[in-house]
Order: sequence, then structure tokens, then C-alpha cells
Amino acid sequence: METWEASTPAGLPTGAPQALADLQRVTDAALSHLSLNSLLAALLERIAEILHSDTAAFLLLDDSGDVLVARAAKGIEEEVEQGVRIPVGRGFAGRIAAERHPIYIPDVDHADVLNPLLRQKGIRSLLGVPLVASGRVVGVLHVGTLTPRVFTAADTELLQVAADRAALAIDHAQAYEHEREARERSERAVRVLESVQRVTDAALAYLSTDELLNVLLERMREILHADTAAILMLEHDGRMLRARAAKGIEEEVEQGVRLPVGRGFAGRIAAERHPIFIPDVDHSDVLNPLLREKGIRSLLGVPLLVEGRVIGVLHVGTLTPREFTDDDRNLLQLAADRAALAIDHAEIYEQRRLAAALQRSLLPQDLGEFPGLEVTARYMPAAVGTALGGDWYDLFPIGAGRIGIAVGDVVGRGLEAAALMAQLRTTLRAYAFDGHPPAEVVDRLNRMLAYLRPATMTTAAYLTLDPERHTLQVVSAGHPPPLVIAPDGTARYLPIKGGIALGVSRGSRYAAQEFDLPPGSTVVLFTDGVVEVRGEALDEGLERLRLLAEREHASVDVLCDSVIETMVADGRPADDVAVLAVHLVPLGDHVVTAWPAQAEALAGVRHLLRRWLRQQGAVDDEIYDITVACQEACANAVEHAYAPGKEAFEVEARKVGRTVEIVVRDRGQWRRARGTHRGRGMPMMEALMDSVHVQHTADGTAVILRRELAGDAPA
Amino acid sequence: MSTLARIEDEWHHEVPVARLKGEVDTSNVDEVRERLRSLLTNRSVALVIDLSQTTYLDSAGINLLFALGDEMRGRQQRLAVVVADPSPIARMITLTGLDQAMPVRPTLAEALGDVRGPGE
Repeated sequence: METWEASTPAGLPTGAPQALADLQRVTDAALSHLSLNSLLAALLERIAEILHSDTAAFLLLDDSGDVLVARAAKGIEEEVEQGVRIPVGRGFAGRIAAERHPIYIPDVDHADVLNPLLRQKGIRSLLGVPLVASGRVVGVLHVGTLTPRVFTAADTELLQVAADRAALAIDHAQAYEHEREARERSERAVRVLESVQRVTDAALAYLSTDELLNVLLERMREILHADTAAILMLEHDGRMLRARAAKGIEEEVEQGVRLPVGRGFAGRIAAERHPIFIPDVDHSDVLNPLLREKGIRSLLGVPLLVEGRVIGVLHVGTLTPREFTDDDRNLLQLAADRAALAIDHAEIYEQRRLAAALQRSLLPQDLGEFPGLEVTARYMPAAVGTALGGDWYDLFPIGAGRIGIAVGDVVGRGLEAAALMAQLRTTLRAYAFDGHPPAEVVDRLNRMLAYLRPATMTTAAYLTLDPERHTLQVVSAGHPPPLVIAPDGTARYLPIKGGIALGVSRGSRYAAQEFDLPPGSTVVLFTDGVVEVRGEALDEGLERLRLLAEREHASVDVLCDSVIETMVADGRPADDVAVLAVHLVPLGDHVVTAWPAQAEALAGVRHLLRRWLRQQGAVDDEIYDITVACQEACANAVEHAYAPGKEAFEVEARKVGRTVEIVVRDRGQWRRARGTHRGRGMPMMEALMDSVHVQHTADGTAVILRRELAGDAPA
Repeated sequence: MSTLARIEDEWHHEVPVARLKGEVDTSNVDEVRERLRSLLTNRSVALVIDLSQTTYLDSAGINLLFALGDEMRGRQQRLAVVVADPSPIARMITLTGLDQAMPVRPTLAEALGDVRGPGE
């Protein structure tokens, strides 16, 4: 090996004044003001001159620290132009960097020089030194001659001083460069963060969906410096996209643009569920003619995803061709996620609203008024999922003052359960109106269910209340038993023999059980959501409700509110909750009631009077006669009383000894009825009662009817 | 039709029978009248109104029967009423003299016999 390896210089060169001058030239403070590139070039210039070399070059370690890359060269500029790379540890420069000391090669032909350029250039001798800054190697400086040349120790020292000078500048420059890059990175991160914040802005949540989409599109257009932005939604069949919101290309929405899924720009994004970037619209399969008409050149689009399912596409476009970065794409996806969430929430909210409206329409809006009864009901849908439940209740008159009360619970939730519930409710009403006895109503309901919806199970209870005889007929099809609060405030469940749930067997037969319901009692019907609470046995739930009923029965409203409040206090119900209460108001021996001047009020008067007469010990024929007589007086009051409102006429009933006295008062003037077949009222009253007196006063008219009860022998 | 009453009809050859179930008072008498008239055409010969399942009937209903009887008589049509006897409504009919104005019978067969007349 003919290479000579120079020893590390021991100190500053001494001797010739020329050497000092040379040294000054490479340590010149004025060089500090140059940029790194200029500094390196100036150093190469001066070194070549001082050392009379033909070539000079700086190679710097790259970021990996494994490779030297030509950075500046003189006389051998191709090194930089071609980007020569020398592995550390190999060849001339590689060994200088690895071994951190100067190397002198007297004759290139007999050395392991890797760089082919040096040979091509015809370089014969080489001297190189490491660039060391802050104790680490940052590169190599070498000089070469086209003729064989001996480099002295002083040459080596001078080169090393120049190298140290360069190393310092390179170190500084690199530190500065790193700092600048770091600053740029952080600035970019801040910009992205700001953009992200603008997209995820919590304030947007308070906007309506349409406003939110418009704001998002406007912001995306600003942030991404795009000219257009648009959102297309997947239609329900999943086969077409329809423009929902747009900025800069509003025609898309106005014209209701629809695009097929699977083809074209937006269609492919929806089908392939990933972003698509189109650098040049002219050379792509963009289907939407509007995009072309608008002169859009570049497009970037991302899918709107909700729980992995595509619901639409968001895209931005520019009128000049441009690239989009990963950051741009991520930001657009973020906006898309935000939009997707908002749309999804809005749809869920809308569905809930519709469901709640539907549910309300399927249940009775108003239970109506029943003289002598207090009725009320509450319904609360489960807290989870769709608002549509299968719980139902109903209450309706079934003639002769009796009422039918139904409650049921269709297994399952959602539209199907609600629809079935509605069918059951209507069907039960129809059978009840047809006059079927309660057991027969439920038998038919069961057969109808088997026909309507085979293999569907549902529990139901149907009760008929006869206020006149204060009896309750109960038919249960697997439903929890009714709770009855007695007049003394004690509550108990009716001991019913519960039939099988509806829909189990076409051949099920149901039986009615009759219970006495003393005036002052309250019947409470409910669905199992009321008594089935998580982590609690059914018996506990039933007992909880029973105790609540004994505490909170000041009125049916208080009772039902308490039931619902308790459910809410325990956390929103996991199941639908329906509760209905009917209170049989006790009638005193002396009753005064007020009625509106409407023909519809007559049935109420009649039914209440019948109940009172029976309570006074009247027999069927007496009850009928007195009721008819009273109705004649009431019909007249309805016809002639001119007071509007709910209290246009009054009916007072009392018993004096064995005589029943009914007084019907109104504020109108009594008139004899006219017409061929009118005017039978008065003779009928007179025939049916012991006495009829009509009193005209300044305020109106009073008809006093009296009849002695035959069967009312004192005990 | 209000929920107080409902009318079921059945046909015995040419004669419609209207079975009035429930209660008739001032509030629903007009609906009942319309429903009964709808069972009649110009070619009808008779109508039977069955009150055996009627639970309440007052002067409004009695007036309706009188008026309907008059109307039908004017068109050479016959009206008969079925009512259980004894019953509160039967007493009401006797009291008002309706049984003097048209045949009132305890069974449907007898009422049909009345309106069909001889030869049918």
C-alpha cells in the first residue's frame, strides 16, 4: 500500500510568514457572513489556490450518517452535479470519515479510490481530512492534483484548519436548517390543527343539519383553497347519490343532480369507500356534467362514513390543476366524518320524532269523560333505540254506562310492533262494540292475531267496568294482574286465573272473572315495563308498585305521575311503560251534577242516574221509568237552555223517605214542543212519575219529578 | 254512528229487518233514522224494526217510530216492531200508544207474518 496516512496535526503551523498569511485566508472572519454554499465555495477557491491543487471538494455526511454526499466541488464539479455518494468506511473519502484522520494518496492508480470521477479526471495525488464539528464527523474535505505531488505535514495542517472552519460553518448551518425545518413542521401542524378545529368546532353542533353542511363546505373551501365543495347523499336504495349541499357549484343541489353508485368520480368513492384524487378532470371518468361545465380541473373526494357504512360523498374541486397533500386528504376526511355524524344524528332525531308522533297517534289522544269516573293514562317509551313500542292501552264506552278497558304489550319494538299494537287495539274495540261479552272479545282477538301475524306473542288484559252494578269483569291473556286500591286505601292484585298469552294457540279459550268494585275503588292496569326492573325479581317489582299505589292515590293523575316519576328516578326505562287508572267516584245520597247543553250529555246523565237509583234500592223497572222521565226533562233543557259552557243545566237527585226526587234546572224558558210527533215528553213524564211540577222563575225553569219506590221497605 | 247504538240488518226475502242494539236518545236519533231509511227503496214493501236488544228508548225514539210509520204508510209500505214483553220498552210503547199505530210483536216471526200479509 503506497498510501501515506498523515498524523493528526499537533498544533498551529509555524515558520514561513506565507503560511500564516495562508492560514488567515482560510480563517478570515469575513467568511462568516457568507451563506454556507458561498462559504464552502470560497474555502475551496482559497485552498486550491494555496495548495496549488487542481481539484477540491467537500463531501458531507447525509442524515443517516452512513453515506458521504458531494456538496461543493472545484475542478471536479461533476461530483456535485452527479450527486456522488460514497459509503462511510470504504474508499478514500469513506475511510477518512470512518477513521477520522487525514489520508494522503501519492498515486491514485495504486490505491482503493472508489469514486470513478477521480480516475476519469486523471487525478494522480489526493489529500483529504475529516470535517469534525462538536466532536463528530460531518464530512470530508479533499484536494487533488493532476500530476503526482507530495503533500507536506504543513499542507495537511492547513487543509485541516480549513476543514475545521468549514465544519463549524456546516454545523451551524445544519443546526439552523434543523431549526427552520422544525419551525416549519410546527407551523404546519398548527395550521392543520386550526383547520381541524374549524371542522370539529363544537359550536357547529347547534346548527341545523343544512346550516352545518353549508358551514362545513364553506370552511373546507377556505382551508383547502378549493373553488367548489359538495356533499352528495346515498339514496335509500343505495344505488344513487343525490346532491345535498354545495358551495361554488350550487346548481348541483338546485338541479337535484343524481349519480349512479359504482361509476364516475363520486360513484366510485361511494362504492370503493376510499378517497379518490383526480389531478386532471379532462382525462378521467367524471360523469357529472356540471363539474366539466364549471371548468373544474382537479378533484379530491372522500366517503361519508357512519359506523363503517357509506352514507354519502364529500368532494372539493379547483378551477386550476393542483395537487392535494395527505394533510389535505385527512382534513377532508375529518370534515366528512363530521358531516356524516351530523346527518346521521339528524336522521335518527327525525326518525325518533316521527316515531313518537306515530306512537301518539296510535294510542288514544284523550280517554274522554265518563261521569262518575276518573280516568287517566300515561305512556313512556323506552330510553333506548327507536321510540316506537308495542305497549298499548284503550278505554271506551260499551253502552249502558259501561266501559271497556284494555291494556296490552306486543313483544318487540319498532314499526312492526307498533303496527300490530294498533291493529290489536282497533280489533279489540270492534269486537267490544259488536256487543260480545269480554271473554268472547278476547277469544276473537286471539284468533284474529293468529290470522294477522302467526307466531307472534302478546299479552293483553280486557276489563269491563259496570259502574251501576260496580262490577269488574276481567279477562287476562298472560298479562300482569290488575291492581285494585280499595276505598280504605289498601291495594291488592286481583286473584285472576291468567289465560295464555295471545297468539300462542289458535284454540285458546278465555274466561272472564267478575269482581266487586265498591265505589271509591281504583283499578290500575299496567304493562310489565312498570314492574320489571333490571336486577329485580318480578315479585319485588309488583310489591313496589303495590306499596306506591297505597301511598300515592290522592287522584288517578297523582298515582300515574308517581309511577312514571319512579321509573324515571330509577333511570330511564329499558322497556316501554304504560299505566292506566280508573277511579269509581262514590256517589252520595244527595247528588247535584251540572251538564253542558248538548244531546251527547244525555247518556252521561242517564248512566249516572241509573247508578244512583240502584244505589238507592230502586228495581229495574223503576230505574228505567225514572230515567226516561228525567231524560225528557233534560232533553228539554238541552233544547231550550241558552247558557253555553259545561254547566248549562243541573240535575239534582235525593231521596226523601221512600220518595225519589229529581230536579232538572236550566236557565232557559220552558216551551211546549211543536210538531206532529213532538210533545210526547210531558205526558210520558206524567205517566212514569207520581208527580211532575214545572216551576218558571226569573232565572229559568225547574222540573221537579217525584216517585215513591215500591221495593224500598226499610230493613 | 255514535257508539251508543248500532244497527244490524238482515233480509228475510224482500223484507229488511233492522236489529237496533244499544241506546237511542236525542243525541243519536237522527243517525238511527237515516240508517233505517237507507234500508228502504221505493220498491220496498215493508220494514221490521227489532227492538229486543235495545237497552234504552225514550220519547225521541218513540217519535221516530211514529214518524217513520206515517212516512211508510204514505208510500204503501208496512212497518212492524219486535219488542220483548214484558220489558220497559214494551211498557213505553203501550204508554205512548205506538202499539195502536203499528203492529208490535214479541217475536220476529210474528212481525214478519204481519208485514208480508196474506198470500206470502
